[in-house]
Amino acid sequence: MIKLFRIEFKKILTYKTFWILVGLYFLFLVLGIIMAQYILNNIVNDINKHSPIPLPHVTLYFFPEVWQNVTFFASIRYVLIFPAIIIMILITNEFTNKTIRQNIVTGMSKQEFLVSKLQFIFLLSLVITIILTVFIIILGISNSDEQQMKLMWHGLVFIPVFFLQVTVFMIFAFFCGFLLRNTGLAIALFTLYSLIIEPVVYFILKIPFLQPNQVSQYLPVNAVIRLVEYPSISMLHKVMNLNLQEGVNTMHCLIVILYAVVMIGLVFLVMHRKDL
Amino acid sequence: MKPGENKGEPILSISGLTKFYGKIHAVDGLSVEVDKGQVFGILGPNGSGKTTTLSILLDLIRPNGGKFEWFGSSPSKGSRKRIGSVIESPNFYPYMNGTRNLKIIAEIRDLKYEDHERVLKITGLFDRRKDKFRTYSFGMKQRLAIASALMGNPEVLILDEPTNGLDPQGIAQMRGIIQDVAKEGTTIIIASHLLDEVQKICSHVAVLNKGKMLFSGKVSEMLSVSDAFELSSSDNDHLKKVIMNHPLFGSLEPKDEMIHVVFKGRVVAEEINSFLYQNGVILSHLAERRRTLEQHFLELLQDNA
Repeated sequence: MIKLFRIEFKKILTYKTFWILVGLYFLFLVLGIIMAQYILNNIVNDINKHSPIPLPHVTLYFFPEVWQNVTFFASIRYVLIFPAIIIMILITNEFTNKTIRQNIVTGMSKQEFLVSKLQFIFLLSLVITIILTVFIIILGISNSDEQQMKLMWHGLVFIPVFFLQVTVFMIFAFFCGFLLRNTGLAIALFTLYSLIIEPVVYFILKIPFLQPNQVSQYLPVNAVIRLVEYPSISMLHKVMNLNLQEGVNTMHCLIVILYAVVMIGLVFLVMHRKDL
Repeated sequence: MKPGENKGEPILSISGLTKFYGKIHAVDGLSVEVDKGQVFGILGPNGSGKTTTLSILLDLIRPNGGKFEWFGSSPSKGSRKRIGSVIESPNFYPYMNGTRNLKIIAEIRDLKYEDHERVLKITGLFDRRKDKFRTYSFGMKQRLAIASALMGNPEVLILDEPTNGLDPQGIAQMRGIIQDVAKEGTTIIIASHLLDEVQKICSHVAVLNKGKMLFSGKVSEMLSVSDAFELSSSDNDHLKKVIMNHPLFGSLEPKDEMIHVVFKGRVVAEEINSFLYQNGVILSHLAERRRTLEQHFLELLQDNA
């Protein structure tokens, strides 16, 4: 296991594209989270200019709600697509450079090759989660009063859920990259599907007479994203009458894990059957 | 003793190996045995199934039928670690330098010692080891591929068109490397469409065409399978009739004033002369035309076209 990780680490160590994309991802993530409150309050200010009853300003970064607010933003499809693209580049590179053939010929088993990639996904996901956790704690401590500090760890459950989201989304990307074997094609199709096709299908399935079967809930990307629901922004809460997410729905998590297991199983099957 | 002359332990045995793509048989019932210390050439024109065969042997392609064994047991990642190979194009990480690429090979191979400097020196890449793979010329990429195959002194070396893309100096160098490695007792399997290459390097050869094996044996046997003579006499028509009765007669072809005769076995000039004389033919011309491997190879291909 450690050996496979060492090999994988050597592969990315001098790969500039990887480090640039990872850097951009974290930059985008941190800036996005910091900007969110500012942008929302600008909107509130605009509304207040024309509204007789002034709306209160939005605060996102206090404990315990900061956990949900930040993990929600970090797991919207436009943000999750970043690590997914990184994974697709890494896996399809092995095919376009034919280094997967070299790895196998040199003495890796086909299964080891897949395990090394999956292991890398878990590790990358873990690193992302840890960095986000540290960021949330810093944000929370610097924005909470004494009363709120007492509830500091109350939203911690969103962290393992976020880890699950990032990991599974990257497994989707891995699945797509592995089957298509072509960097451009994989990124284009995956992005098209998760950002456009699935939302459209989701919308169609939401048409009232289709509503009862709830199929839309089980579309893969949506299944991942809904694990962390719309955050409890106090303004939105009041205006739009949204419900606070009490906790995590275990059933929803299991569905996502099932998706991941099926995709990993298919990848192993295809690897076993198909010529390289 | 020349390499490959001892009948040693089998390194590789293939039986009935078959791979088809749709209706096309890329490899068709191939059975071959390679023994320790042999320099085994797989000879065939483009598309004859050489690379497909080697890819099957290295677990890149699943065969549709037949089986093969490395070192007397079923193939595994363990057996592949004992084999150094260059298949088709050199495949490396383009953004890494030569040394780093070789270090990945070492890691996969479980090499316990540093070997990259040695193989870089052997292949003449040492001065460029710090440059990225993508900056290499094709010849240098091919050298790095050979270097990676030599990492850790594997027991078997598989080389698919090893001199492809090299300049004349590089080709000579590469042959030198292969011969040096062979002297150390390493078993070498070379696929090539260049007869000259096989003739110069190999001890044994299998000739492939359209996935079928046409010949397998020692290179020296293949060279002496049959010999050709140029004959002429005052009555060439009579000469033709007589020579066709020779027990080892193969084929004949009139060439200007002469008749070109190919025999199916080793025949010496004196024997031909006396055979013809006994049958009432007096020769005005008799010359031995030892056929090159190339002629024999082309004949093999024609016979099976």
